[in-house]
Amino acid sequence: MIDKLFYFVTVPMVYLAVAWAIVGIIIRAVQIWRRPRHPFTLKVFEQRSTLLGRMPLIGAIVDVFTMPTVRKHQPLFWVFLGLFHLALLALLVAHLDLLPQINIMPTGSKHMLGYGGVGVVLTVSVLYFMWRRFRSPVREISVPADYLLLLLLFLIFITGDTISWANSWNSGGFVIGKPEFAAYLDGLVKFTFDNPRDVLYGSHYVVVVLHVLLANLLLLLLPFSKVMHFFFALPMNKLRRG
Amino acid sequence: MEDDQRQELLKLFRERLTSAVRMYMENCTRCGLCIEACHAYASSPETRYSAVGRAQNIRRLFDRYFKLSGKLAPALNEAIDLDDGWLDKIYETAYTCTGCRRCMTYCPFGIDTQTIQGIAKMLLIGSDKEPKVLSMLSDMSIAKGQNIEQTKQTFAQAVHNLESEVLDMWRSEGGQEAVPLDVMGANVLYVALAGKHSMIPAAAIMNAAQEKWSLSYFEAVNFGAFVGNPQKTREISQRIIDEAVRLGVKEVAICECGTAYRVMKQQMGELPFEVISFVELMARYLREGRIKVDRSKIEGRLTYHDPCQIARNGGIYEDPRYIIEQLTGEFVEMQPNRAANWCCGGGGGLVAMGEKDFRMKSAKVKADQVRDTGAKVLATACENCHTQLSDLNEHYQLDVKVEYLSNLVAEALVQD
Repeated sequence: MIDKLFYFVTVPMVYLAVAWAIVGIIIRAVQIWRRPRHPFTLKVFEQRSTLLGRMPLIGAIVDVFTMPTVRKHQPLFWVFLGLFHLALLALLVAHLDLLPQINIMPTGSKHMLGYGGVGVVLTVSVLYFMWRRFRSPVREISVPADYLLLLLLFLIFITGDTISWANSWNSGGFVIGKPEFAAYLDGLVKFTFDNPRDVLYGSHYVVVVLHVLLANLLLLLLPFSKVMHFFFALPMNKLRRG
Repeated sequence: MEDDQRQELLKLFRERLTSAVRMYMENCTRCGLCIEACHAYASSPETRYSAVGRAQNIRRLFDRYFKLSGKLAPALNEAIDLDDGWLDKIYETAYTCTGCRRCMTYCPFGIDTQTIQGIAKMLLIGSDKEPKVLSMLSDMSIAKGQNIEQTKQTFAQAVHNLESEVLDMWRSEGGQEAVPLDVMGANVLYVALAGKHSMIPAAAIMNAAQEKWSLSYFEAVNFGAFVGNPQKTREISQRIIDEAVRLGVKEVAICECGTAYRVMKQQMGELPFEVISFVELMARYLREGRIKVDRSKIEGRLTYHDPCQIARNGGIYEDPRYIIEQLTGEFVEMQPNRAANWCCGGGGGLVAMGEKDFRMKSAKVKADQVRDTGAKVLATACENCHTQLSDLNEHYQLDVKVEYLSNLVAEALVQD
């Protein structure tokens, strides 16, 4: 029974979650796109005429990637936000690197990109976000979904850290290394529906399953969550730029 | 609340959901960065008087009625039913915010709280709970437009009575009317407020510049925008647009009234004439040498308050500073200034509504900012700001003289 459950989580549920997220994101985007345009400009005028002020799209892109308003008003928050988003990007690349077709890390390496450091940065950043959210005045404007999302991210990252670091700490060497994860992901990409248990051997397979389950949950929640700001940060900043 | 009424209100809500507003509704991360942007929070500090605090009152309704997650798991985002009790919270969203949009300069996404505030105002109008004074004033403005032929003569007589005061400021050339009305083909249609304080200095300045101008029969202030009714906002502005088209003017110069300027400049679409602020017109006259001012008229240090709707939301930063440079050598900037300037706390209809206790409490940070300049003269270019700053001056004993820029210029005009 537990094997079937583990299989469901690591294979069919992954497909369901990814499909759900894609469809959900498209629906959300269409819902917004189909609404009428705002009847007048929502621009805020810059203090002085600057180069970026004259190129609103470029200015908005710079706003999205450098978050100047956060840097100006809450520099520590900006540091953690920057680290978090950069690490997320690295995390995405690191997971893609698990595919046998992509070899950013040397083929023979047992490590993911960042040698486990990416996950630590993410975990620490999320802990900071949680700490900040539990403190006044952010606490007063928070809703349960804000805490649950951070908790979900924390659990995803901590299980990811466990997979990464537990591998390193095992006296018998790597229990599940990059080649094994590569085989699992390759099977997913090629729709082989193979049972990952056949390649992901070792005692902490349950942590891998938990990690995948939590990631699936994130994907299922994604279209309803504020993570969607990933897709709308640019058009919103463009509105401010005019 | 009856279900029929709720459905009517939700219909009004839906109508305000442009693509921009929908993005604003769905993508706030509640990072809290905007909290400290609001003068009301900075002066209190209570999070209900923050941009996100106010927006949450509307966002929770949005989650309840327009999102699947709000229907399936309302507790997650604290989605809430629309009822009479919640309308009181909505009132807080609508009429404790001045619409200054300072929070937009903090938000990493640039969420415009004023558009969310617009939903709150619409819901209150739909449930007949909006401040009646604002509705009444906007209705009066519209009625004036509908009956203008009957009031023209009275208005012309009232304007005629002001002429001697205009001539006291600037002795016009022979044949030049002190306050011209109905001038076909005028370069400038000047739209004043109801009080003579916004007519006399402006008339003297335009006469000094030998401008071909005409005074509008209509007042600039747009109570439709304050109350939050887009249809009334348009009707009130349309009276001026029709008049400008009838006269065939090149420019419509809006007096020192921030909201009137922004509504006409940005919210009325393409117009067959240019819309400028009177501040821009004064700066132009000075640059072109059409008027000259005496630099010794102002005594003591002068500071300038950037009205939100003219500066942050209108982009007019340098013209007032240029004017001040011509008027005095003792100018000191407020800190922060320009786009980062603190709102005076009187916009969004709050001055018209009275609300003095709240206005004074919520603008302590503004009073501190003014006091820190050590200025003796506090200039601004907006009626609401002027009233609010005058109240703050009295309440916090700031010991400044609050002045309109136009009045400072008019009083310093040099007659050859």
